[in-house]
Amino acid sequence: MFWRLLWKLLRGSSGRLVVAILALVSGGLVVSALLNLEFDIERKLTQEFRMLGANLVISPGRDAQMPGVAPPALMNERDAFAAIQNMKDPAVVAAVPFLYIVERGGGTPVVVVGTKMEDLPKLEPSWRIEGQWSSSRDNQIPCVVGRNVAQQLRLAVNNPLDLTYLGKSARVTVTGILDTGGAEDNQIFMQLPEVQSLAGFPGEIGLVQLSVRGATKAISDYAARLGTALPAYEVRPIRQVTEAEGDLLNRIRLLIVSMVLLILALTALCVLATMAALAMERRHDVGLMKALGGSIARIVALFMAEVGVLGAAGGFVGSILGIELSRWMGQRVFGTAISARWEIFPLTVALMVAVALAGALPLRLLGKVKPAVIFRGE
Amino acid sequence: MFGRLVRESFVRNPRRKVLVAAALVVGMAVATSTLTIALEVGDRLAREFRSLGANLSVTPQADTLPIEIGGVDYRPVNEGAYLSETDLGKLKTIFWRHNILGFTPFLDVPGYLGETESQITLVGTWYEHEVPVPDGTTFKTGLSLTHPWWKIQGRWFRDGADECVVGAALAAKYPTTMAVGKTIAVGPKEISSYVRPLLVTGIVSTGDAEDSAVLVPLFVAQAVSNHPVQFRQLFVSALTKPADTFSERDPLKMTPTEYDRWFCSPYISSISFQIRTVLPGTDVRAIRRVADTEGRILSRLGTLLWIVTLAALGAAALAVAATAATTVLERRAEIGVMKALGATNFLIAGIFLAEQLLLAVAGGAIGFVVGAALARILGSSVFGTPASPRLILLPVVLGLAAIVAFLGSVIPLQRASHFDPAPILRGE
Repeated sequence: MFWRLLWKLLRGSSGRLVVAILALVSGGLVVSALLNLEFDIERKLTQEFRMLGANLVISPGRDAQMPGVAPPALMNERDAFAAIQNMKDPAVVAAVPFLYIVERGGGTPVVVVGTKMEDLPKLEPSWRIEGQWSSSRDNQIPCVVGRNVAQQLRLAVNNPLDLTYLGKSARVTVTGILDTGGAEDNQIFMQLPEVQSLAGFPGEIGLVQLSVRGATKAISDYAARLGTALPAYEVRPIRQVTEAEGDLLNRIRLLIVSMVLLILALTALCVLATMAALAMERRHDVGLMKALGGSIARIVALFMAEVGVLGAAGGFVGSILGIELSRWMGQRVFGTAISARWEIFPLTVALMVAVALAGALPLRLLGKVKPAVIFRGE
Repeated sequence: MFGRLVRESFVRNPRRKVLVAAALVVGMAVATSTLTIALEVGDRLAREFRSLGANLSVTPQADTLPIEIGGVDYRPVNEGAYLSETDLGKLKTIFWRHNILGFTPFLDVPGYLGETESQITLVGTWYEHEVPVPDGTTFKTGLSLTHPWWKIQGRWFRDGADECVVGAALAAKYPTTMAVGKTIAVGPKEISSYVRPLLVTGIVSTGDAEDSAVLVPLFVAQAVSNHPVQFRQLFVSALTKPADTFSERDPLKMTPTEYDRWFCSPYISSISFQIRTVLPGTDVRAIRRVADTEGRILSRLGTLLWIVTLAALGAAALAVAATAATTVLERRAEIGVMKALGATNFLIAGIFLAEQLLLAVAGGAIGFVVGAALARILGSSVFGTPASPRLILLPVVLGLAAIVAFLGSVIPLQRASHFDPAPILRGE
């Protein structure tokens, strides 16, 4: 009986209910899109912040002398990388070894950096290179020079360059010119094995720089775990901008949540308007039900069920559309789609049902309807 | 007659009007606050991002190559070019002077530490230094603005005192001699007789090379290295607009109009160009790591917030239109009476639209005020300072309210024009 009445009521005033459901769907759409965004924004933002470059450094112990002042302290390349690989952490974007030597062959001392050149763009996405990191020809030893080095030594791409270190020398070819705006503009980058053989430190490196994705806590946790795996070396986070990152994230989240609340309030108001009009229209029905002995609670329950169905339907359709919207937003803004979270469905549906019920609260006024007055046609 | 009909409708059944007006107020409040925040958010976020630190670096043009490893310059003191401290006030005279939030000069000096008999690096810099600006004012700047993430235990040195701050790694290495409150003696070289006693006031952790150095006021480093009023590198923190394809173009190849537009936009390229003009003989570089990250995230968040704002506006518009539609639908009986009495569809539409328009203006105006207040609260809770209301949004919001109320009424009115009065009046 209850369900049949409900069905009849829903069908009876379909035109009117379309308006309410439209508001509920649009509210649900925006709310679910924003909630989906809110869940994913941390991952997206921390990913964006990786553009800042390395945020973790493994270096030979704390007692190490600064390079250049005394013979540099070194660490074993294989040990360090075995530890990183054993951890198998997917958050590690890049781990790159560095070995610094100061070459004094050409009169001007220059810092020469041995590294894994093919991994540098992953570690430091903001660096710009004119030319390439590697050479297309096998018989050349490629090197990339910083902007200032190129200016000072008058080097251009494809020029040869002679490097001398402690009596050993090597002829390398400039394959690219690097622009970073930092100290790297004054350095020459080469493949690690070349610098190791030039310096006479086979298998040794000066430090490892890592770019690790995640919030401040995740990064320091990872650093601590790596530190226990490599007791001989020092692992420390660098560039503590992660605080700024967290702060920014909180602000954006607060903004999103407040927008969600505003839209929920607005949707509730729209439902209220529709329901108030419906109640007016159905005074006769209510009067009849009352005259036939229906209790107020039952009549109101009928209306509430009607509104609940509307809310659920609006929330369901809205959340499907909203997730589509957030996918599109992710694609448009961050270049990768924001993955749908299943929690969004029940959350949005629940929110929309709650909002619809809140909007239907004035229906309690129906309790005041007096059948006699209604039937007299007043 | 027309005016009376409209007035009567407001007086006779205020409940319906209150509902539409309430929907309009809330909807327009949402519109106002989201638009206010969206307009302001770019600027706010750009300021937030300055906590990433300096985004421009200024070095002497005719310099030798710095032997810089891990952030410390190992060049001998006599080598390379220097910049003069006296010109720095000019930075606050460029076109975008208000966007220069702070700058800090650095002078790295290889030094000798008497107590531990070891070589160290002295980093001369400012913490909070008053710089005289050519227009007669002073500008307070230093590490507190350009390197805000450096953490200090104890307190920073005063810029005019013989004090110093020790890097965390160095302090951990010499826990007895390098503690807060102790006095250390630094000199330029082992054999030199010149030593300067400095009071340790704090221990700094920077997460960078300065952790194994001693930070001293700039004038101390200048005295130790015998390079008065000079420094090697300047870090500038400037508020910039994200770079786009236009800003990347070569200013020399622009037309005069394009050049003016470029010069008058706070792009990092135009700000560095302006710095180069007031500090001749320097090389001004964007620190890509910071500048590019900032630019990219800012432009992405900007797009994101605009999409969110538009979605919120859409939802608000739909809700208001739906409410307006409901109240028109509700009055079918009234429409029937009017028609039966000979009113044309045109007149009925006119009466209803005039009512909605009145409501839209009133609701929109109240909504604007509520929205401005809401934006203030939101602004202060999200960004710490309230977002100032923008009067330019008032006509936008009023127009939006009118359009939404209008569109919401048009569809039911169109349906009403097909009504046959008889069944409606019969109550069917």
